[in-house]
Amino acid sequence: MVNIIGVIREHWTNVLVPLGFVIGWYWDKKNDEKLTAFRNKSLLFKRDLKPGEEFTWK
Amino acid sequence: MLKILFPSIMLIPVTWFSPNKWLWTLLTMYSLMISFWSLMWFFSPLNNPMFINKYLYTDQLSTPLLILTCWLTPLMIIASQNHMINMPINQQRLYILTFIMLQLSLILAFSAMELTLFYIMFESTLIPTLIIITRWGNQTERLNAGIYFLFYTLMGSLPLLIALLTLQAESGSLMMTSMPFMTQIYPTQTNQIWWVACFIAFLVKLPLYGFHLWLPKAHVEAPVAGSMILAAILLKLGGYGIMRISIMMTPFTKDLVFPFLVISLWGIIMTSSICLRQADLKSLIAYSSVSHMALVIAAIIIQTPWGFTGATILMIAHGLSSSMLFCLANTNYERTHSRTMLLARGMQTILPLMATWWLLANLMNMALPPSPNLMGELTIITTLFNWSNITIILTGLGVIITALYSLYIFLTTQQGKMPEHLTAIYPTFTREHLLMNLHIIPMCLLICKPSLIWGMFT
Amino acid sequence: MNPFALAILLISMFIGTMVTLTSSHWLLAWLGLEISTLAIIPLMITDHHPRATEATTKYFLTQATAATLILFSALINAWNTGMWELKELSPLSSNMLSLALMMKMGLAPLHFWLPEVLQGLSLTTGLILSTWQKIAPIALMYMIFSSLNIQVLMIMGLLSIIVGGWIGLNQVHLRKVIAASSIAHLGWMMIILPFSPHIMMLTFLIYILMTTAMFLSFKIFNATQIKMLTIAWTKMPVLVALMMFILLSLGGLPPTTGFLPKWFILQELTLQHIPSIATVMAISSLLSLFFYLRLTYALTLTYSPNTVNSTIMWRFKFNNMFYLPLMVVMVLATFLLPLTPSLISF
Repeated sequence: MVNIIGVIREHWTNVLVPLGFVIGWYWDKKNDEKLTAFRNKSLLFKRDLKPGEEFTWK
Repeated sequence: MLKILFPSIMLIPVTWFSPNKWLWTLLTMYSLMISFWSLMWFFSPLNNPMFINKYLYTDQLSTPLLILTCWLTPLMIIASQNHMINMPINQQRLYILTFIMLQLSLILAFSAMELTLFYIMFESTLIPTLIIITRWGNQTERLNAGIYFLFYTLMGSLPLLIALLTLQAESGSLMMTSMPFMTQIYPTQTNQIWWVACFIAFLVKLPLYGFHLWLPKAHVEAPVAGSMILAAILLKLGGYGIMRISIMMTPFTKDLVFPFLVISLWGIIMTSSICLRQADLKSLIAYSSVSHMALVIAAIIIQTPWGFTGATILMIAHGLSSSMLFCLANTNYERTHSRTMLLARGMQTILPLMATWWLLANLMNMALPPSPNLMGELTIITTLFNWSNITIILTGLGVIITALYSLYIFLTTQQGKMPEHLTAIYPTFTREHLLMNLHIIPMCLLICKPSLIWGMFT
Repeated sequence: MNPFALAILLISMFIGTMVTLTSSHWLLAWLGLEISTLAIIPLMITDHHPRATEATTKYFLTQATAATLILFSALINAWNTGMWELKELSPLSSNMLSLALMMKMGLAPLHFWLPEVLQGLSLTTGLILSTWQKIAPIALMYMIFSSLNIQVLMIMGLLSIIVGGWIGLNQVHLRKVIAASSIAHLGWMMIILPFSPHIMMLTFLIYILMTTAMFLSFKIFNATQIKMLTIAWTKMPVLVALMMFILLSLGGLPPTTGFLPKWFILQELTLQHIPSIATVMAISSLLSLFFYLRLTYALTLTYSPNTVNSTIMWRFKFNNMFYLPLMVVMVLATFLLPLTPSLISF
């Protein structure tokens, strides 16, 4: 059990880059949703909005 | 975009907090991982700008350059392992941190949607590069080289800042995506000054013959990683900038374009002739990249789709091949501790596999058939020929001289009798072979699907 | 110095500036300037050596002349317009007044006292002189900006940028280099003042941040000459690495804070259709950048040879009361550029 703490202390930096990827992926996704809601008036780019969601461009 | 940016930012804490013995391994691994992730930028089914957010986007032109940036970071880390190994650990961390800063600012520069952000990031690359050159270079002349580097670039780019601000004052926007829809700017006296101000920053960066004096100095004095990133990406910032900014500067008028065109065509001959009489290996490679960039400048200034395509291909291909040549020069330098070619002759007999890499790199650099360099040069030469038949004399001569100096490098360093003092050098490392392979494999793969690096007109 | 005397001096320096800042009457404004000048003079001459005496004398003479000019032009203005308020000024008195205030701050043709005076002071007093003592004159300029003569400001400002860059080139004394940088920065402020006083204030704020950061870090190393900077890395390697960014920020290289004021000033000037002057300013600021770059070379980018014993100086802990303010100012002086949108929305 003691060993686990040692391993974590030694290798915790390994988490950072994948974590960065996940954060970036999440923010990209949110941003895409925002942008598609923004241009939901266009027939080409429109998507089905979630129930209760409104497009931001009025 | 953020999928790559966030992991790149996360490399900073990894640099500082990873255990000493894992430092280089971890950084190489993660930056390589990021560069593989970055390959997703190639996905663009519509030839449209992709991966958009409010400030950043990529399109066909910037994608290859962005991926090259991400690709170069692990290569720089691999290349500089050997000469950093005796430094204190904190300095090693700081050195890697500089690469990461450079990668971040380059990604932001290539993917910026607004010209102001592009300008700021274009300038931000100066500080890490300056640190790499002047802090980790070897000779005292590196300080001089740093001053040359910084002041040439700033002298060129401050007028660009004013020109961009003027454009913003006139048009109200500097968005690259809306630039094709702006009203065209017609040549008047004032506009011509503005035009030159827009151009000169990138021509100094590329560099055009005549503005090139900083480049050989910087290359010669920089450590291997500095030379690699300088040849592979930083010069390409100039080409990228001209291509982006020339969209709104059309039509080019003759009296503005011809001087630059003439100088760049003349520069092809001049700089490659200078290569023929260099005794300094790194300086020779630096001049060879000036001559290749002269081709790029000529092709961009002609402003035809073929010209742009050729310029983009040559930028990517030259990025990989010149970076590889600098790595090879560094392997010699680490063994003989001299850049002078005459002191490292006949290496083929002791380092035969390295001789293979030298041969391949030289062949790529002089644009032999299965290389994207050939494709780029052929496209550019065709463009120039189409513009004016006489240019074939200059470009043809340029190609011949390129072949001559490639042969000169190869013969001097690899063939002939080995001098006595070289018998005691240590053998090649797997690390070095890996490094060369990581340069060659992308080039071989790219020629299988060159439309990836064709730029805007695929 | 006796702590009570010190307290009185510091408080009256503070009060003097505050009186000027809050005054609406020229006499009171002049009074505040005089109080703060007189309060700093004992501080300047604390160390009794000839240089300090010389510096104090020179400072006193120039400030007294400038203050007299201010009083004189305020009187003329009162004579002409019948008003003592800090509002509209007649052309003659506004010209005289702006020259007097520029003399107080040390702008180009009237700058000769500044390097000499700063050279004779301790680093702390030098910090006060080049930041706090400039607040009152700058505030007065800000208040009367609408009646200032644009030509005078442009000429003096441009001259200051060039001269400030020029006199810094051959200096080996750090305080003189700082004086040169102060002259150049004030030149940028004077040029933008008639067009956009808000940007001038932002520039001034950032100038104060950067100068404070530089002075405090020099203070920690007790460095007064370039050659003393070359051994700074043995004492605090991290601070040395960060000082490079402060110096480049003073030079105005993009990713640092120092680019922010330059960017806005150049933008405002192009909006006013004078891109030619903007270009000249931008390019002559490269002169200043050169000597900052030389300082970074001595400080960070080269490691001068040392005896083995001296390279382990960093193991000793120096207790210094400047660490905390230095940390705050250092961060602000280098990495403020990403916060630009929130800075300009005042």
